[in-house]
Amino acid sequence: MSHELRTPLNSIIGFTGILLQELVGPLNPEQKKQMGMVRGSSGHLLELINDVLDISKIEAGQLQVGHEPVDLNTVALKVAATVQPLAQKKGLTLNCELPDGLEPLSSDRRRVEQILMNLLGNAIKFTDAGEVRMRVSPAGPDIRIEVIDTGIGIAPEHLDHLFQPFFQIDIGLTRKYGGTGLGLSISKRLTELLGGRIRVDSVLGRGSTFTVLLPRVEAIP
Amino acid sequence: MKAKILYIEDNETNMYLVTFILQAWGHEVFQASDGAEGVKTALGARPDLILLDIQLPGMDGYETTRRLRAEPDLAGIPIVALTSYAMAGDKEKAMAAGCDGYIEKPINPDTFITEIEQFLSDAP
Repeated sequence: MSHELRTPLNSIIGFTGILLQELVGPLNPEQKKQMGMVRGSSGHLLELINDVLDISKIEAGQLQVGHEPVDLNTVALKVAATVQPLAQKKGLTLNCELPDGLEPLSSDRRRVEQILMNLLGNAIKFTDAGEVRMRVSPAGPDIRIEVIDTGIGIAPEHLDHLFQPFFQIDIGLTRKYGGTGLGLSISKRLTELLGGRIRVDSVLGRGSTFTVLLPRVEAIP
Repeated sequence: MKAKILYIEDNETNMYLVTFILQAWGHEVFQASDGAEGVKTALGARPDLILLDIQLPGMDGYETTRRLRAEPDLAGIPIVALTSYAMAGDKEKAMAAGCDGYIEKPINPDTFITEIEQFLSDAP
């Protein structure tokens, strides 16, 4: 299934990239602009397909998480570096508070990265001024990761639905902010598969804090 | 550096795409559409690098890698798997079969050639 969905995209993304690199020949400005739009849309479609495949695997109980030593600071810095240009583009400060001498977790590096990417991406997306902060700290048997923003915030009546698939507060937001509407539900389920918990605190108009607790050593479910 | 690269892939569009990029950067490409043909072509062409799809008809990419690795004449040739958005364990399976690395599909045309040439310069 996953192979069939992604194979056509491989060629759309690939050939668009080749044309944009002008390996075949020069493009005029309008051609470049339109090919750039194809590239943007195909990137978004890939994101959507990856998310839908993840959520369907999770719901079918088929998603397996790995167990490997994960250095959380390295993962956090990598994700921060990836989203830094987005923050910069919006004039936001991106801060990371990471503790010294953190022991590696026993977890799934790729999935931890995916969770942090979703949370930081959201925080930047829904914040127009101020800062986004990621704070990692020990919390007993767990490690706590907080992603704190000074963004639009979430009304109390929406907090319960926030982690449901395809929930975005209104269509206008989806248009304005993009995204698949699956990021938070995937993050919640992945966190749980890794033996952890995720929680949100928010004040409408003031900002949100997403808190993820991951066990240092994964409990056997 | 101009290299000889064998690409084992059953999907014609992917074959065209990757071949085009590699040739555009001056490499010589040998093509095979399944594992058995891949091993045969490798023995004839003695490439500098082997790229292979994991989901091949009949003998899959893991088994093809093991067969390639069993040929003393091909020892030392880097083998790189092209995998669909790796799930937990895919990379480990590819490495356990004898691959030297993997590149995820959809390939990123902006970084693909750099990733490939990395494996060429690492070769003994």
